[in-house]
Amino acid sequence: MKEIIRQLVETTGPSGYESDVRALVKKMLKGQVDSMKVDALGNLITRKGKKSKDGLTVMLSAHMDEIGIIATHIDDNGFVRFTSVGGVFPRNTAGGRVRFLKTGQVGVIGMESHKNQSSVPGLEKMYIDVGASKRSDVKVSVGDVAAFDRPFEDLGTRLVSKAMDDRIGVAVLMEVMKQLKTTPHEVVGVFSTQEEVGTRGATTAAYGVDPDLGIALDVTLTGDTPNADTMAVSLGNGPAIKVKDGGMISDPRVVAWMEAGAKRARLPYQMEVLTGGTTDARSIQMTRAGVPVGCVSIPCRYVHSPSEMVDYGDVQNSVKLLLALLSKPVQLR
Amino acid sequence: MLETKDLLKQMIQVSGLSGHEAPIREVIEPAWKPLTDEMHTSRLGSLHARKHGSGPAPRPSIAIVTHMDAIGLIVKQIDSEGLLHVDQIGGLDPRVLPSQMVMVHTQGGDLPGLLVMPPAHCLPEEDASGAPQLKHLRVDTGLRPTAARRQVRVGDLISFASKPVELDGDLLAGHSLDNRASVAVLTEALRLLGRRKHAWDVWAVATAQEEETLFGATTSGYALRPTLAVVIDVTFAKSPSAPAHRTYDQNKGPTLDWGPNTHPKFHREMEKLAKRLEIPVQEAVYSKSSGTDAILLQVTVEGIPTVVVGIPLRYMHTPVEVVNTKDIERASRLLAEFVSALDETFMDKIRLDKTDEN
Repeated sequence: MKEIIRQLVETTGPSGYESDVRALVKKMLKGQVDSMKVDALGNLITRKGKKSKDGLTVMLSAHMDEIGIIATHIDDNGFVRFTSVGGVFPRNTAGGRVRFLKTGQVGVIGMESHKNQSSVPGLEKMYIDVGASKRSDVKVSVGDVAAFDRPFEDLGTRLVSKAMDDRIGVAVLMEVMKQLKTTPHEVVGVFSTQEEVGTRGATTAAYGVDPDLGIALDVTLTGDTPNADTMAVSLGNGPAIKVKDGGMISDPRVVAWMEAGAKRARLPYQMEVLTGGTTDARSIQMTRAGVPVGCVSIPCRYVHSPSEMVDYGDVQNSVKLLLALLSKPVQLR
Repeated sequence: MLETKDLLKQMIQVSGLSGHEAPIREVIEPAWKPLTDEMHTSRLGSLHARKHGSGPAPRPSIAIVTHMDAIGLIVKQIDSEGLLHVDQIGGLDPRVLPSQMVMVHTQGGDLPGLLVMPPAHCLPEEDASGAPQLKHLRVDTGLRPTAARRQVRVGDLISFASKPVELDGDLLAGHSLDNRASVAVLTEALRLLGRRKHAWDVWAVATAQEEETLFGATTSGYALRPTLAVVIDVTFAKSPSAPAHRTYDQNKGPTLDWGPNTHPKFHREMEKLAKRLEIPVQEAVYSKSSGTDAILLQVTVEGIPTVVVGIPLRYMHTPVEVVNTKDIERASRLLAEFVSALDETFMDKIRLDKTDEN
């Protein structure tokens, strides 16, 4: 799976500009699913299996988009001002590099003079230096979108890159769709758009799919680094079964089903209570007359930085957990 | 009303935190069963009960919507001493949390616990004075570390353990009166409607998840497609040092809340009826958001004309919320009268384009 992960994270696709990621996923899943279609918001909706008598329509959702930036102004000296696409933390930004989608233009993020070392200036005090000496040399226009530029590194057990959030979920979902052989369910694998700007792709995908059960596959934070905020999730302790996050309460019946499934399959897992942030499951839950939802999270350090780190064992166990859960009828109680 | 008061006391002794409403739903279900004709639970756990009207089918319907979920805590981590670190479900006021008695709901059963805080001199300097932040509070169940890790799991829920207290002057105190006081209003209204004729169908709705997401309301609205909706929720009552212009009196009736989530003509009709029947009500105004289920319910499907009724509550989002049962009675009477007055002309009466044509 590592080569697939590398290709996914090294492809760029900030929210609303997911087409390269979608093309790659489509290519990799060719012939491996029963059907594929793209909806009005750009979600890639893939299906496998038929809904049997005791089966459900299960929607799995992993978002293709990543955080990025968008150019807002170019000054006479060729410096590009920008704002965020999704939750970009200024503290992770200065000194980083970005790559513009349209032209492949690379730029360095610089910062206005800032003497106070104990505070971080906002993005409005930052700019992108594309190496131009005058405005006419700049191959960037207002409205052009760029992604953070940082290659994939295989550290052995741990993998690090930009856009692990949520290409790692995309990789897990692709693997599940490929490996799924027998299931009583109609499994709908949604590779969603615009999650980082308000779980927007999943909103329309869920309306269209009208599922009986929804599961998001996304990253979550960990509490296992020096002086981290309290959180009982660690890298390497298995997929995290979400109980609650900042925007969604998992259906307790779905949580119980996932816990029992992990135990039965003898897979490691951990329980997740996340204070901030949310996933596509939020949008699926409020669709139409409501959908029971849960989320399988892949623990990830340094989320929304250009160096997001996951554990390869957690990734593999997430695939195994989902395959185990989807191979049998679902009883929610 | 006596029966409903007993029900309310029962309702504020069970948990049913947002997203986990089964314990409170199981109390409301048997209470509504004899008062309604059909009942089911939504896919998100909201309770829907219909009382058929006497008009010709297909009948229009009015949904009376009260959220049943409560605020509380959730286990975030179990530390090496066996103490529980917590996160909040819904908006809690951390100033009132230290030294509360709580109940930890584990998979093996309920465990009593205490919400405790370290002595001030053991806290970081910036946190040593004033109200402690939630991150410094712990729940002590008395269990040794190994036993705590065996019996309690991350994600277990914690609810307040305070018992109902009757105070002088028709006052009832306890946790989760937000919003079970309104569930009591709805239940009492159903009881009154049992003795009155009403042409329209009534959907009694106890919603899930109001304190966190408002998703119970919007999904129930989608499923039931009511013609009209009334949202009943608690509002801020006058309390010590609270400014008069931001609070409402207790024992002066429910508030009728005017603002963007409110359908103006529907609101005026309810106001007129209250005046005609001499049921005391208070005019309340909110600037942007009513802070209730009406926010999402109003914009569900093609839009649902919605009004917001408030029950004045003291000490909201604490374990000692206080309601005046007279306000519950008045609100339920107003609702029952309103429902039974609904006829085939009502929707035309509240048409927003009506004045355009005149």
